[in-house]
Amino acid sequence: MRRALLVLVLVLATPSARGEEKGAAGSAKAAPEKAPAPQAGAAPAQPTDKPAAKAPESIPADEESCASCHTTDESMTLDLAGGEKLSLYVDRDAYARSVHGDMLRCTDCHADMDYPHQEKPYKTKRDMTVAFYEQCKKCHFANYTKTLDGVHYALMAKGNKQAALCVDCHGAHAIGRPTEPRTKISETCSGCHKGVYQTYVKSVHGKALVAGNPDVPVCTDCHKAHDIEDPRGGALSLRTADICGRCHTNQKLMARYGLSTNVVQTYLADFHGMAATLEKGKRAKGQGLLAPGCTDCHGIHDIQKVDDPTSPVVQANLVETCRKCHPDANRNFPKAWLSHYEPSWEKAPVVYAVQLFYNFMIPFMLAAVVLQIALHLWRVVVNR
Amino acid sequence: MSTATGVPAGQPIVRFNLQQRIEHVVTMVTFAGLCLTGLPQKFYTSDWAPKMVGFLGGIDAIRWIHRFFGVTLAISVVVHLGFALQAVASRKVRFSIAITQQDFRDAIVQLRYYLGLTEEHPRYDRFDYKQKWEYWSLMVGNIIMILSGFILFYPTVAARIMPGQFIPAAKVAHSNEGLLAFLVITIWHIFNAHLHPDVFPFDTTIFTGKISRERMEHEHPLELARLEGEGEGEAHGGAPGAHAPRKVG
Repeated sequence: MRRALLVLVLVLATPSARGEEKGAAGSAKAAPEKAPAPQAGAAPAQPTDKPAAKAPESIPADEESCASCHTTDESMTLDLAGGEKLSLYVDRDAYARSVHGDMLRCTDCHADMDYPHQEKPYKTKRDMTVAFYEQCKKCHFANYTKTLDGVHYALMAKGNKQAALCVDCHGAHAIGRPTEPRTKISETCSGCHKGVYQTYVKSVHGKALVAGNPDVPVCTDCHKAHDIEDPRGGALSLRTADICGRCHTNQKLMARYGLSTNVVQTYLADFHGMAATLEKGKRAKGQGLLAPGCTDCHGIHDIQKVDDPTSPVVQANLVETCRKCHPDANRNFPKAWLSHYEPSWEKAPVVYAVQLFYNFMIPFMLAAVVLQIALHLWRVVVNR
Repeated sequence: MSTATGVPAGQPIVRFNLQQRIEHVVTMVTFAGLCLTGLPQKFYTSDWAPKMVGFLGGIDAIRWIHRFFGVTLAISVVVHLGFALQAVASRKVRFSIAITQQDFRDAIVQLRYYLGLTEEHPRYDRFDYKQKWEYWSLMVGNIIMILSGFILFYPTVAARIMPGQFIPAAKVAHSNEGLLAFLVITIWHIFNAHLHPDVFPFDTTIFTGKISRERMEHEHPLELARLEGEGEGEAHGGAPGAHAPRKVG
């Protein structure tokens, strides 16, 4: 009788428990949608009724008043005190097609605009762009915050007005998805970093990207997009095992190209990888050298296949690469490096033999020592 | 290598001279320093290693400390071997640390005694087989560590005089031999010098150089007999180990 009751209770309880689970999962899923897009705590004039996914037809109707002047005359300009002419024309269709076209009004970004327009203090176009840096943060707070840790912001804070701001990479009115197509990312960076880009497109990664291969890294995969670290001083190079390892330890990805996924493991197991791990976060001071990361031997933007004759790690060039840090290295010195191979009878028999010897010796010695102590104590106890 | 001399009965017996005591202190300090700065390099992926490295001033500082202690230890080993070879060669002292057939016989008797197969305890001379094992382990280990250490200190020089592969092999040897030494010392030496029931809590002989006559009788009866002018054969009826049953602990 009791058992029957228990079964009944279980049967009754199960569907309701399932229902709760489903409900919980459902609300958890809904939560991110409900959560407001990241915005500044004190952001004023934020549209609360954000249309989620409407067909982008045109600029919201109440923007017609701005549009009546700013979308009609392409030659409309403002003379700035610095002598530049600021175009006041907005391509209406381009804006409508942009990611913001169906959701933002002109004054959401141009919040300081009223009519009739007041005089603005901008001497140059750049002054105006810099002054608008804060506008994106109202909605894109997380990415805005990341830029504060980035090298571009650090330069800006030191007074370099040319350092890249949101709109320099994303555009202002015709903002599209920054990652579509994938080639767009590196092209965007090339706007300022032309030399680096030209080197990159000749590298094994860059050549593949231009040929339409999406597997290869673009600028932001290594440098990140918003919190871009200053690569000078070597802190970035110390993290290359992590950065390069994201792809080069991915078996599925590497199998497509017949590449080993052991490269990071073998590097970390060696002297260089150990030193780099312990130096993480450090910066080189003066003439001091930091432990080499992937890019110190393989190259950075000019990285090539390891069998390419121009690669710094191909056998013929390797001693020159070693000499960057070991200036007195002779031709024999590169043989001290096992080329990312695990020691084995075929690849490094001496190293392998030494390792095998200790794999046996350490447990044997310890067992002998512990046994001797245990026997001694045993006899002490027996004698008492 | 024995330099102990006879002393009147009742007085502690001098077991180690000043040089031997200093050598022990140098080995102890450098060994501790080398372990403290070496193990975090071996176990650099652990949680504790980066903290320890940071505490000791960073990886570069740690490396220089490690090299300083390493070179100090290397010098002390060279000095030790120089004096020892010269002393043994001049026949002023007996080569009492040499491993002999008697040590193997002693080890077997000791094992039988531990297992209760015999009540006869081996009677040791100046060094018993365990002490000799520890000494020679340390000596061979030190030589491996010094050679591999210098290869790692000067890899480009090493590459000029030996196959390149010896450099990563030296790293494997240095890293493993170091760990082995650390484990053997922490387990074996700490037991024998501190936790052993005969010496607990602290065997001071290697620091003061002195050992009681009682302990000599107990642990090194053959040496005591020699010090007191009795021939081994006469004192023990021609049979070392013919004394009354001796107990450990």
